[in-house]
Amino acid sequence: MVNPVRSICIVGGGTAGWLTAGIIAARHASESGCGLQITLVESETIGIVGVGEGTWPTMRTTLKKMGISETDFFRECNTSFKQGAKFARWVTGEESDFYYHPLVLPQGFPSLDLAPFWTRYSDGGGDARSFSDAVCFQEAVCELGLAPKLITSPEYAGVANYAYHLDAGRFAPFIRDHCLKKLGVRHIVDEVTEVVKNDAGDIDYVETRKSGRLRGDLFIDCSGFRSLLLGQTMGVPFVDCSDVLFIDRALAMQVPYDDEQSAIIPHTVSTAQKHGWIWDIGLQSRRGVGYVFSSNHTTSDAALAELRAYVGEAHRDLQPREIKIVSGHRQTFWKGNCVAVGLAGGFLEPLEASALVLIELSADMISTMMPATRETMDIVAKRFNETTQYRWDRIIDFLKLHYILSKRTDSKFWIDNRHPDSIPQSLKEQMELWRYRAPGDQDFTSNNEMFPAASYQYVLFGMGFRMDTHVSPLGRDIASAQRAFAQNEALKVKWTKTLPKNRDLINKIKQLGLQKI
Amino acid sequence: MRLVELSRSEHAGLRIRDDLVEASAASQHLVPIVVSEFRKAAIHYPIVFAKNPETGRFAPYVLNGLGVEENLFWSGTEMDVAYVPLNVRRQPFYVGTNDAPDAPATNVLCIDLDSPCLDGSGGKTLVNPDGSDSSYLKEILSVLGELVAGKDTTESFIATVLALELLAPIVLDIVLDDGTPLQIEGLYGLDEEKFRQLDEERIATLWKAGCLDLIYSVLIASGHIFNLIRLKNQRIALSRAWHSNPT
Repeated sequence: MVNPVRSICIVGGGTAGWLTAGIIAARHASESGCGLQITLVESETIGIVGVGEGTWPTMRTTLKKMGISETDFFRECNTSFKQGAKFARWVTGEESDFYYHPLVLPQGFPSLDLAPFWTRYSDGGGDARSFSDAVCFQEAVCELGLAPKLITSPEYAGVANYAYHLDAGRFAPFIRDHCLKKLGVRHIVDEVTEVVKNDAGDIDYVETRKSGRLRGDLFIDCSGFRSLLLGQTMGVPFVDCSDVLFIDRALAMQVPYDDEQSAIIPHTVSTAQKHGWIWDIGLQSRRGVGYVFSSNHTTSDAALAELRAYVGEAHRDLQPREIKIVSGHRQTFWKGNCVAVGLAGGFLEPLEASALVLIELSADMISTMMPATRETMDIVAKRFNETTQYRWDRIIDFLKLHYILSKRTDSKFWIDNRHPDSIPQSLKEQMELWRYRAPGDQDFTSNNEMFPAASYQYVLFGMGFRMDTHVSPLGRDIASAQRAFAQNEALKVKWTKTLPKNRDLINKIKQLGLQKI
Repeated sequence: MRLVELSRSEHAGLRIRDDLVEASAASQHLVPIVVSEFRKAAIHYPIVFAKNPETGRFAPYVLNGLGVEENLFWSGTEMDVAYVPLNVRRQPFYVGTNDAPDAPATNVLCIDLDSPCLDGSGGKTLVNPDGSDSSYLKEILSVLGELVAGKDTTESFIATVLALELLAPIVLDIVLDDGTPLQIEGLYGLDEEKFRQLDEERIATLWKAGCLDLIYSVLIASGHIFNLIRLKNQRIALSRAWHSNPT
């Protein structure tokens, strides 16, 4: 006798809960009545943390698969375009110090690797352009404040690869409405009062104040930092990563624009400060600005002074919201018949906007690997845990990379961050190899990689890391490299001439809409 | 381009060279048409759909060439076709919108004062000696009238085919006689396979709405792409002969 998996109970209705519900419901035809039955229970009284106003390009596929129109998404969620991130003052701390981590891969990548050629030319003084500018046209597009596509581009298609900035407070209700109207998700607004396990150690049901017992064959914990099901009920311990990543506080502000037609910056700006860094995300109607810092290195008051200096005198009346954050994740993410998605599984500082993408990837993995029976669930859980652990480790490595390459000495925060004991062994090994050759696909061989080798290249060379290219020969690709550099210059000219201003395109999308084809 | 509202008194002395009108299309690979033109256009041109670069909205066009700014029907002096689209024939006149703040928007007749068709040696005048509209101007007004009248029906046809998801990008995989592969971007056509799969009820609705003959016109006209390729190859051959410089 087998116990089939027919119903799923999601606890928590923030971004994690609704995205997970939508992703699974769309794949498993919940609206047809013969697919998986999905119930989401959320409390009216518990607020949404609303982590992450920045997405990855994966969000385009995620929304498209759920059957959401990109035009509606722009109209409802205060959405704007994000073409990667600009990192300011991370290396020396000076005004002129910046580099880009764009979303478009280097020209010719991965079949052609321009990094050694750029290194050779720039060491020889022949190429004064930054790495990202020399190999990718997107930096020029961003510097001019242009959008990544045209009004004639179909929904979800772009001239340049792009992601989004969005208003998390509007995003969760937007996905909720779609889940309820189109995807057949059952919605219960009630408070969970108790989570009850059966003899086998699985979650049997969640007790609610008014709606009685909610049963499910699989429970998904989207309860946020509380980790009500996985942490509290299943007792899975938290693994603290603050020995690697020091940031544990955020001061967040919503900064208004000067006027309705102020330019919207088409990328995230991350500006390093004395004890952390400030994010600056342009939405349609406001900017989201926040300082994440280490409370072991500075006080909230001192941090607030830095944040106020950043946003300027005109906004001195804005009151920040202080959020405590703990970098880390649960020891396992799926135990028994319970899996955690979102903050219930863990949290890392938002430097590379990893929160939403981890929700998408986790929900997608649960959806595609959905066990048919309770008996096969443990195998799926084991695989899910291996993959998810791998992903967290890679994100932690990549976040740490930004800190170990800094040359800032203006505080113990930056100096401590470069201490060898704080650097994961996996990252140390990569850095050894990269002394002589650029990061390549051979360094990232899993099917579940988070960042392509190109991302490592952008950060490494953006932050002034230099390989010794004289040990290994450059090979015979010099002609193709020159063609690729020239091709990049041509693309720069073409698209900086053709692409519209970011705000102008967003206005047009809201007014006229994008075509589906 | 200098568009002004036509004034029958102020512009009474203008003379138009109507033999230059078609030259305005000499380097237009796409000319917008309205649905009332579909059957006539289908005699000569592929009818395609493309997005307006300013609005992203779809509109129907006749296709004159296989590259941007290429008009393979332009002989050097005229359009070598039996049917010239209204949007060429109306030159150098335009329909403008009077957007005076207090009045409802109305259409006004405009003329492009920079048009090369405006020439003292031209044979056409706008008003008769008695002040009435000349037969030439009446003809222009009827052309513009058909364009204005066709605007809504054309938009509703587009909305219908979009709702049925019948538009699809045109994929052309052709190598010309000189070896260059042909790439046309941004053109859409009707997806014949999807159209054939529509159920009877939908077909009946299309028929009642007058959309069925329009769809067939587009499907039949799609074969003219082969004529464009033929014309293009002829040009390549001519240009080769020109440059081969026989001694």
